[in-house]
Amino acid sequence: MAGNIYFELTRAFNAAGPIAVLASGQAVVYYRVAIMSKDGDWVIRETAEACAQVLDVLAERGAVYRAGAPLDPRWLAGGWSSHFEFFDDKRRRIRCDFFSRPPRVDVARIAPLFNGVVGELLVVDLESLIRMKHTQRAKDYAVIGELAARLPPEQEIQFTTDPDRLLTLASSHQDAIARAAIQAASVGDRDGVVVALAREQDALQRIDRARVRAYAAAAAPYLAEVGTMSSADRRLPDAHARLVARAERLLPVAVAVQENVDADVE
Amino acid sequence: MQMLSDDDTNLAELSDAELDLAWDLWFDLAQSTNDADPPYTHGVFVGVTLPALKETEGTDLQRDDEAGAT
Repeated sequence: MAGNIYFELTRAFNAAGPIAVLASGQAVVYYRVAIMSKDGDWVIRETAEACAQVLDVLAERGAVYRAGAPLDPRWLAGGWSSHFEFFDDKRRRIRCDFFSRPPRVDVARIAPLFNGVVGELLVVDLESLIRMKHTQRAKDYAVIGELAARLPPEQEIQFTTDPDRLLTLASSHQDAIARAAIQAASVGDRDGVVVALAREQDALQRIDRARVRAYAAAAAPYLAEVGTMSSADRRLPDAHARLVARAERLLPVAVAVQENVDADVE
Repeated sequence: MQMLSDDDTNLAELSDAELDLAWDLWFDLAQSTNDADPPYTHGVFVGVTLPALKETEGTDLQRDDEAGAT
């Protein structure tokens, strides 16, 4: 029967215990906000066992590594992401991305993500999903508005990107958070709300861009070498050891990311 | 303010099976834009260009699969 292969993969990854939480675009599909993503993204438990389980599931499907960090707790802990690709039985391209330190999500919120019962579809909670969506992409901010509308009002006001909702919520929740858009909404200044939201989005996009640039610079020597590997050399399961060997030589585990690139984000 | 279209947001009343079917149909159609997709949409490699790898990604993998490789 036709279905969402990324939901199916989530169940396969977690068949022996909760290790991979569906995130990003497919989580947006799960929450019935929009059908919007051709890829699957997961927050993976930062253990060697979890990585091995995921690699086994992907190897069974003939997946290859795309250029990216090896799926190994050392690089995952440094904020790196790992990327794979295979084609399903209908010749459709399936892309799978993994990370264990979702950007902008407090470390304390990550462990509870895995508290699901085996057999259920493990999906990130709405607030974590919204924080992950504070990316460079403009379209994510429209999605954030829809996701925030599913939160209780006291949480919605912290995250919504909808000026009208801010103006409505500010009268009863204006002390919730120091957010410029809420302050403007509390005095009924619609133009001020719109401007504050635009500045906030721009600041978040610049912060994300700076973060990604730092990783790209750190990865350059490694990617130059991995980029020369053929698809046969990148095919699981053998490819994993090849990427680990290259990463141990060329990919730093930790990357210094400049914090507070934009002091005006709040 | 409505931030997404009705087509985007009228999913709430779908059953799980209907949602799966809708996504599957959309995914079929979306394959037509694979060649135009950016290499990465998530993770720390967003925006990275990989000219050498691009030559071997996707098309070679399909060719391998069609040749019976596993």
